[in-house]
Amino acid sequence: MLPRSMTIMLTTLTLGLTTLTSGLAVAAKGPALKPGNEYMVVANYPNQMQVLDLQTDTLYKTCDMPDRFGPGALQVAPDKKTAYILNNGYEDIYGVNMDTCEVTFHAKMAQTPKERTKTLYAFALSYDGKELYAVQNPTLMERDHYVVQPTRLAVYNTDAGLDAKPVRMLPSPRLVTAMQTGKDGGLYMAGADIYKMDVHTGEYEVAVPSRNWQRERYVQPDVLNVWAVQTPTKDFTILYTTARYQKGSEDLNTADWIYGYFNINLETGATETKDFGPLTEIYFTGTRSPKDPNIMYGVLNRLAKYDIEKQTLIKAAELEHSYYCVTLNQSGSKVYLAGTNNHVAVFDADSLEHLKTIELPGGDMSTTTAQIFVR
Amino acid sequence: MKHLKPVNNKAHTLTKAVADDQVEEVVAMQSIAGCTATTDPGWEIDAFGGVTSLCQPMESDLYGCADPCWWPAQVPDTMNTYPDWNDNAASSADNWRNLGTVFPADKD
Repeated sequence: MLPRSMTIMLTTLTLGLTTLTSGLAVAAKGPALKPGNEYMVVANYPNQMQVLDLQTDTLYKTCDMPDRFGPGALQVAPDKKTAYILNNGYEDIYGVNMDTCEVTFHAKMAQTPKERTKTLYAFALSYDGKELYAVQNPTLMERDHYVVQPTRLAVYNTDAGLDAKPVRMLPSPRLVTAMQTGKDGGLYMAGADIYKMDVHTGEYEVAVPSRNWQRERYVQPDVLNVWAVQTPTKDFTILYTTARYQKGSEDLNTADWIYGYFNINLETGATETKDFGPLTEIYFTGTRSPKDPNIMYGVLNRLAKYDIEKQTLIKAAELEHSYYCVTLNQSGSKVYLAGTNNHVAVFDADSLEHLKTIELPGGDMSTTTAQIFVR
Repeated sequence: MKHLKPVNNKAHTLTKAVADDQVEEVVAMQSIAGCTATTDPGWEIDAFGGVTSLCQPMESDLYGCADPCWWPAQVPDTMNTYPDWNDNAASSADNWRNLGTVFPADKD
């Protein structure tokens, strides 16, 4: 880890040279990824994608991204060579060859010059990596007023190059902000409920009810759908908070406040809605252990670990600052925290002992998605 | 609109549009992220009515709120209106002194 003063100096240098080094940035390709090794990818300010080597928990390479940062939401392709990043102020998706830092795919979400179109985190790849799906929220920018257009799902071929155009456009449910694709081809779209869409016909149904769940004595859940973390167990996991009334009562003052998770196994299509503990603090993301599906980790101001069946907190670790995004390595031995500032914190998954903090060159990760994969 | 009186050009335009029946049906925004007012508690209070579950320190949450236009009343949004706001502050924790106050300006 670099001393803090040196990092600040380097940051300042980087910022100062940004405008002069666009040519240099292209040359900074770094080493290719090694087959069989485990890596983590995140994005951060000013506008970079960082690849970390999880054998040594060190920075492996930095790729400079085109246009501007934001939000740095990431999905790794099934071939583990290409990372797709939603960036440029939520308006463009780029495919980046992680070996060379070369941009191999680019799709502008706006379809006409008059449109301003944002994708709010909601994009995903097909199970075979041949198609990319993005929920687009277009606004027509007229000379004296804006006109909000219907939300749509745009489908791209990932081999379409640097000027990719949608091969299909389908009406999309609104409010969708996180997505993953199942092995059967269905697209799981997390919004007011979690829908499953046929990406050829556009037909969709509720796969996991959320706002419209019918659970006796439970109030509607509160859900934050932002980070579509790809897991080694192929689970798409989203946390909820809720309250459960006591029998015969509808008094929130005596209700049990509960944390739980929605889960879709993308391999099998099996779904779960399950409570895992009392609601005592907030977590922005949660994920289960790849080696023990009864263990749930959650993070925001603390890293916490729950026994799902017993619905009890096993342990919690204090953090130097908030982190948004929790993920584990493939073996389930280490927990990685990312998002917010420019630190990736590494913890022992069993003891929750703090092992290391990896300081990234550049600035904040903000709401980037941390993705771990084996090349 | 009975108790509201227009005081600037934009408000006069809106009032005229209402009078001319030119205002289209109001449709809820796509998502609470993306430059719209939200009813979420902001940085004043957390979901429990306290402050311990707010992000700590607040700088760690700054760009997570500015980027998706989560709380545009509290921080300038970098999504649409002030994309350059943090150009000189890649790291909110180290460079926060470079973040300035913004004021609405007339658009061309």
